[in-house]
Amino acid sequence: MLRYFVRRLLWACMLFVAVTLVTFVIFFVIPADPARQVCGQRATPECVARAQHFLGTDRPMLVQYAKFLDRLVVHQSLGRSFTNRQDVTQEVLDAAPVTASLVFGGAVLWLMISIPIGILSAVRSRSLLDRVTMVAVLVGISAHPVWIGLLAAYFMGFRLHLFPITGYCDLFSPTGDCGGPIQWAYHLFLPWATFAVLFAATYVRMIRAYVIETLGEDYVRTARAKGASEARVLRSHVIRNALLPVVTILGMDIGLALGGAFFTETVYGLPGLGKLVVGAIGTFDLPTIEGVVVFATLCIIVFNLIVDTVYAWVDPRIRLT
Amino acid sequence: MQLKLGTALAVLVTALLVSGAAGASTRQATAGGTLNVDLATDVDYTDPALSYLSTGWELEYATCLKLMNYPDQNGPKGSQLIPEAAAGFPRVSNNGKTYDFTIDTKFTKFSDGTPVTAASFKAAFDRLADPKMQSPSGAFMSDVVGASRSPVSGIQAKGSHLIINLTHAGPDLLARLAMPFFCAVPANLAHDPNGVNTPPSAGPYYVASRVPNRTILLKRNPYYKGKRPHNAAQISYTIGNSLDATYLRVQQGASDYASGGIPPAAYAEAAQKFGINKGQFWVKPFLSTGYLAFNTSRGIFKDNVALRKAVNQAIDRRALLAQGGYLAGKRTDQILPPGIAGFRDADLYPLKQPNLKAAQKLAQGHTGDGTVVLYESNRGASPLRAQIIQYNLKQIGLNVDTKLFARAVQLEKEGTRGELFDIADEQWGADYADPYDFINVLLDGRTIQATNNNDFSYFNDPTFNKQMTQASLLTGSKRYTAYGNLDVAIMQQAAPWAPRSNANNRMFVSQRFGCFTYSPIYTVDLAAACLK
Repeated sequence: MLRYFVRRLLWACMLFVAVTLVTFVIFFVIPADPARQVCGQRATPECVARAQHFLGTDRPMLVQYAKFLDRLVVHQSLGRSFTNRQDVTQEVLDAAPVTASLVFGGAVLWLMISIPIGILSAVRSRSLLDRVTMVAVLVGISAHPVWIGLLAAYFMGFRLHLFPITGYCDLFSPTGDCGGPIQWAYHLFLPWATFAVLFAATYVRMIRAYVIETLGEDYVRTARAKGASEARVLRSHVIRNALLPVVTILGMDIGLALGGAFFTETVYGLPGLGKLVVGAIGTFDLPTIEGVVVFATLCIIVFNLIVDTVYAWVDPRIRLT
Repeated sequence: MQLKLGTALAVLVTALLVSGAAGASTRQATAGGTLNVDLATDVDYTDPALSYLSTGWELEYATCLKLMNYPDQNGPKGSQLIPEAAAGFPRVSNNGKTYDFTIDTKFTKFSDGTPVTAASFKAAFDRLADPKMQSPSGAFMSDVVGASRSPVSGIQAKGSHLIINLTHAGPDLLARLAMPFFCAVPANLAHDPNGVNTPPSAGPYYVASRVPNRTILLKRNPYYKGKRPHNAAQISYTIGNSLDATYLRVQQGASDYASGGIPPAAYAEAAQKFGINKGQFWVKPFLSTGYLAFNTSRGIFKDNVALRKAVNQAIDRRALLAQGGYLAGKRTDQILPPGIAGFRDADLYPLKQPNLKAAQKLAQGHTGDGTVVLYESNRGASPLRAQIIQYNLKQIGLNVDTKLFARAVQLEKEGTRGELFDIADEQWGADYADPYDFINVLLDGRTIQATNNNDFSYFNDPTFNKQMTQASLLTGSKRYTAYGNLDVAIMQQAAPWAPRSNANNRMFVSQRFGCFTYSPIYTVDLAAACLK
């Protein structure tokens, strides 16, 4: 077990170095000098040379990468932004809870929608409810989150005044003039709904399929033969078994969703990681791009490491592979 | 399971109803006295030594105290420099190299209570000149004696006098001093290369708080008793809303001003719904010129004035401008934008539609191998303009090979001497209101270097270079007449550019936004804005 864990840890480190190094290389292939941006439209050669030294971009790429790793590992710092010289560690730590709020809140909402609807569709397969649900699922999968977000903001926010059009309130220790759990949920409801539509649609279909499959299992027939009520059969024998693979896929989807959250963040003006990195790409702000990449990579690596370790503990065959 | 789900839904619905009520009460509570501003992308800095984006300068216009400033008035009066912290115009030595300002700041103090003195302005120069600060202001104070090191030896604070010594006469100094870089700062303000987020300021407002990428709060400077208006009790910036959302928020009244703009496609609708310059949708000129720069140092346009003029005749300025959306600007065939001192309207090239006959005649026998490389940005209306240019030049026998780049890459490439392009589609916005900032900065060939050039046409004509220097040393009406003549002469005789348009600022404000005042340099005057 220990050997397996050490092996996975080494792979994780290699993956981390590979991802961050590739990001560095891509940045240097693009012929845009951040030092010129520091000096503005009236950049003089003296100013650009000084700025290159100040930013450290006058050194070879590998030296810069080594300094970046040193800063990260020894000083636990992601450096400072090229464009606004803010502390990137702080920027990432400020943005991460916003993205986490969106993704985890969205996940709760899509499960709240998809589990009952998926089960009902399976139980009443080929009924009117099932067909209507499947059409809704098709629309949900086909519609882009930006389009859904804009429509929701227009109708629910602008026309009906039910929710704020955009904005974010912190759950704890507010930084602006709003905050606390109620305002947090109130501001996030539309983003959650937008975010949930796509996944809910996929999950309804998936849960429906698993439940239909489980309903045909021998142990379900046995339970019914033994006189168990339909509700008990569903609760104790069907749903529990059908939802096991859903939980596994949910874990993977949350990782993916972290990457795709930037559409929803952009539409609703949420200051999350997606918005931060998109802004940084536009201004060739390497430290901020690297910061978000490092954070996202670490999250995915740690998450996968935990999952792999738990799997290995549960299923001894995995250690051999 | 179903029971738990039902309970969860009931809790959520109750929470939403409660939060809806809470939201409504919050909106009501924040209405009075707070001007809400939406900004799509954060300002770069709130530190005057580092801020160099238009949105940052709009903010600094409300917070800064300067030696000279533009009055809070609409129209031509708003473009005339007046003394602010200076008691009057400075005494200038006969050789034009020494400026002596008398400082009179009885009407204000810094927002932390520190008095403003001549030393506060010297502190600004010293901070800017400190290499540690990495300020982009270097180009605007390069003629100040000792500007390359801090403290700047050419700036002296003696009692209430601030004396600025220049290496050579600089008649545009007063206009440069109105830039936010040079606003007063406390003498003990840290020389922090990362910028100070909440620097004390001596203008009508000060930055009370800033959370990068989220919010900025300006409050009235309690010590400011000057003439400049300071109507709203506070100005609250919300950062990060998309342009679409901002458009809806301003209509709804959740925000009062779309500082980052609204979606380009919404300008026509806004004009139709709210009228133009009738209270909510404002269209005002901005000191800028969009142009096609011909690479005169190599390739087909080198020593080929006839072809440069032919392109000026052939391009469809109306169509090029239309790609920027409704009321994007005014067509032009000149270097200087209207509104800048010295501009005189001249009828040089067709503005309404291309003059193909004249263009073809001029181009005849001058089209070389018939291929030109166009460098263009890959964002916004730029690729659309490239298609129009391609079509227009085809009419005179030129095949355009368009190369699209990210804006930063485009600038980097075009600014490198020897880069293989023939036409660069460019735009220049004034740093300060003086024709020098267009003519000399963009067309004086003696400034050309290996990299980081602004003279994208690599235009280097000894006669014109000399005339540019002569004009830059003149003062008053002679200066502006000289620049006006140069503008016309360069375009008539050498045509290193095909100017296409002068941009408009299209601003959208809420129904309760009153006292709208526009500065062509700093855009919306937030200090003058009031709530109806």
